Amino acid sequence: MFYLLSLLVLALLVGSIFLAPLRSKVWVAFGFVAIAAIAVAAPSIGVLAGAEDIVLAREIPSMLGMGSLSIDPLSAIFLLIIAIAGVATMLYSHGYVGHYLTKKSSAHISLHYTALATLILSMMLVVMADGGFLFLFAWELMTIASFILILFDAERAEVLRAALSYLIMMHVGFIFLVAGFAGLESISNDTSFAALAHCFGQGKNLAIFILFLLGFGMKAGIFPMHVWLPEAHPAAPSHISAIMSGVMIKTGVYGILRVVSHMSAPEQIHVVGVIILAIGVVTGLWGVILAAMQNDVKRLLAYSSIENIGVIFIGLGIATLANASGNTAIMTLALCGALMHTINHSLFKSLLFFGAGNIYSQMHTTHLDRFGGVAKHMPVTAILFLLATMAICALPPLNGFVGEFLIYIGMLGSVRDGINTLYAAGGLMALALIGGIVVLAFTKLYSTVFLGSPRHHHVAESEEVDNLRIAAMAIPALGIVAIGLFPQYALRMIERVVGTLGGSQSALIVSGLTSTLWKISLTAILLIIIIALLYTIKHRAQRSRTISQGPTWGCGFTSPNIHMQYTGESFSEGLQSIATSLTQNTVEGRAVGKSEIFPSSHNYNVRHKDKIDRLLAEWWVELLRIINKRMMSLRTGRINNYILFALLFLIAIVILSLFNLI
Amino acid sequence: MVGIALNTLLMIVVAIAIPGVINRTRATLAGRKGLPFVQHLRNARLLLRKGSVYSTTTTALFRIVPAVYLGAAIVAMLFMPVADLYPLISFEGDVICFAYTLALARVAIILAAMDTGSSFEGMGAAREALYGALIEPALMIGFATLAMFCGYTSFADIFAHEQSFNAQITIVMFLIAYLFITIAFVESGRVPVDDPRTHLELTMIHEVMCLDYSGIDMGMIHIAGWLKTACFSMIAANAIAATCCFHWWLAAPLAILLTGLSIGFVESTQARNKLVRNTTFIVTISALAALIFFIGYLLQSDINI
Repeated sequence: MFYLLSLLVLALLVGSIFLAPLRSKVWVAFGFVAIAAIAVAAPSIGVLAGAEDIVLAREIPSMLGMGSLSIDPLSAIFLLIIAIAGVATMLYSHGYVGHYLTKKSSAHISLHYTALATLILSMMLVVMADGGFLFLFAWELMTIASFILILFDAERAEVLRAALSYLIMMHVGFIFLVAGFAGLESISNDTSFAALAHCFGQGKNLAIFILFLLGFGMKAGIFPMHVWLPEAHPAAPSHISAIMSGVMIKTGVYGILRVVSHMSAPEQIHVVGVIILAIGVVTGLWGVILAAMQNDVKRLLAYSSIENIGVIFIGLGIATLANASGNTAIMTLALCGALMHTINHSLFKSLLFFGAGNIYSQMHTTHLDRFGGVAKHMPVTAILFLLATMAICALPPLNGFVGEFLIYIGMLGSVRDGINTLYAAGGLMALALIGGIVVLAFTKLYSTVFLGSPRHHHVAESEEVDNLRIAAMAIPALGIVAIGLFPQYALRMIERVVGTLGGSQSALIVSGLTSTLWKISLTAILLIIIIALLYTIKHRAQRSRTISQGPTWGCGFTSPNIHMQYTGESFSEGLQSIATSLTQNTVEGRAVGKSEIFPSSHNYNVRHKDKIDRLLAEWWVELLRIINKRMMSLRTGRINNYILFALLFLIAIVILSLFNLI
Repeated sequence: MVGIALNTLLMIVVAIAIPGVINRTRATLAGRKGLPFVQHLRNARLLLRKGSVYSTTTTALFRIVPAVYLGAAIVAMLFMPVADLYPLISFEGDVICFAYTLALARVAIILAAMDTGSSFEGMGAAREALYGALIEPALMIGFATLAMFCGYTSFADIFAHEQSFNAQITIVMFLIAYLFITIAFVESGRVPVDDPRTHLELTMIHEVMCLDYSGIDMGMIHIAGWLKTACFSMIAANAIAATCCFHWWLAAPLAILLTGLSIGFVESTQARNKLVRNTTFIVTISALAALIFFIGYLLQSDINI
């Protein structure tokens, strides 16, 4: 019955999108997504507000026992994220895909929208499925839909390459998940997540956890399985990057939260906590250092997503460690922080990718050093991008600060109470360094793109994008400001989730936290008031003074030109000199030599490639090539050799059966 | 209420007095007559009265930044207690809020510098971003050490509660004070990291970022700088005061003299680092902070070495 219904929905989706006229395809897809979003958001809000868990469908027959779809607080929070980002993405896609309506065939556009709607619907299924076949089915549907979406610009060779490597890596992850569920089945005779409790109760079943960690980690992009992210995001259209980076990678976080929530033995939880914390630290640092060195807008944003997954894992690791020690107050803090950061990242990362889409659709490049001074031509995009930049740098009074603040005080509290002191201190130092380098990465991004003078004539020809895209960007922007100014209300949303994960919902802890967040809210408002006041005073004072304009002070140099501006590459030069061992640099062209007194025209382009990329991709390819070469030498083309092989095979079978081996 | 007002007033006095003490120390050590104690106040008053020149390359962001920079510094100052007095804003974990409010100031000034499109200002911005990133772990682990020893995560609680005076606390508190004075050197752009009196833009860090600011904007940036220095100086002074006589009438003069004299002394006797050495210098501070934390951890857990 369930499968019949879902087939019907899918057929309806495909049929109506393919049959709709070219310009209305987006609205048909939008309709589907909006209905689904409302349908899941309403019960989710109910569940978060304190209602009972909702079971949507029960006893769905599948290959591995019965499955069911239900909404508990943990699903609810992810459903809300998916619903909001889904609607914003669909709205944004109207303007972005609009450029391609005349260039691509109608079927191509239809396929894109079908895949986009399918991706959003399948993500909803993923977080509602209770495990087993149904979960894997939705997971695979999500992968395939996103694969088709990355392929939008399939004419470009690098897009094809990125999409294929994405597909392969996701399926490696999928194998781990299948193995995890198979292991679960063999231990507990059930494949639902609930059976994990029984499985982990059986004693040391860390292997099962590792399998799930690898499977979900591949999607989330934890180190060293992150290499697909910086390839897939520059290849995909911007709204696809937004939903993939903002939401899809979070399904990996969801999966790990689900698995961890079923653990109960303290020693086991302790080990798992250390693993998660270590992964978080390494992923976060690796992501942010690489992000700061990138010279491509979308590649930089992709690495920053890896970094944010790291931050979420740090919070999760601290929470898990506190759980193992039985300190529920710290656990509640860190877990709230991790969940809050998950929500926050989905908001500001969508906004950043939308912004990147705006500038790409005007200037047709994502190379940082081709921009400059875009703020004058696209002021609204510039303001919204600045908002997201400040949020991702975790600056008060915006939402990014609230999430990281909770993780920080979780760690400080851990140090204060003397539980897991050294782990917490390590996490604290890592998070502080991450926070510092994020500032470097994003001031570099924002200032080379939006500030200064134009480095290319494209910039002067660009203009602000259509209002619908701005409206789509306003959705996450509103969330950023609202959570930043009133975090105490956002806390109410995640309060119940913490309860289901074993954190304490005790009134004392929650009320203490709420009062802290109240004060943060007041501080944020005070900060804004003081800044506004200072600006007004300054503005008033300047009325009676002589205010003049002139060129930028060139420090005595009389003919500065725009090519002397600091570029993105030069901005992160200091960091590169420290972290050069993490990357492999490919250089095109030649730099200006020190002995050239009158330099001629030079072309110099450097790309900082991830060393892990080489380890994971090239090493395997090389191995496969060697094996292949050996095998090929068996192909002699002589019929007598082939008969010999067949004979050897028969003899082998006879011998093996003699010894009862087959 | 009176306490809070006195606290804020003392912070302002400390902020104003430190640059004066630095100038007098430098003059005395060099055997010069030197500037009068209040010269920096006169300069600031002059700047606040002047008109401004704005670069045509800049956007509206450039004009908002001085307000953000000063506003963030003011809010950061409001977190800081003077020994046993209470600050205006205080809650659990406000140490984090303090650090990130200062980060807001840093981001604002970096963006403003980049807004001018000048290569020199870009240079300063890039350096500020890197040094700011590397000093952050030192700051946080310093706070963590305080939290571990005092059992609280807000400035007011860390310093307001009577400590049991023993040797361990004294050792760690003195180390913490040393750490925060060094951080103050970096954050306020003083020798050996940066030299506010240098004449060559190529080697500047903080000064070069405000090259295009003039008049009232420049005045606001100067004032914000004093406030920032006062905050770090106050943490150091509080840490030392906590070991002996914990009262505001000791902590406030201590903050002025500690930072004023040490900056003045270092600036008269040392040359600034070569720029490439700065990263090493700052990473060393972070390593030192981690070491202090570890020493504190060992002392705390009563391990016999």
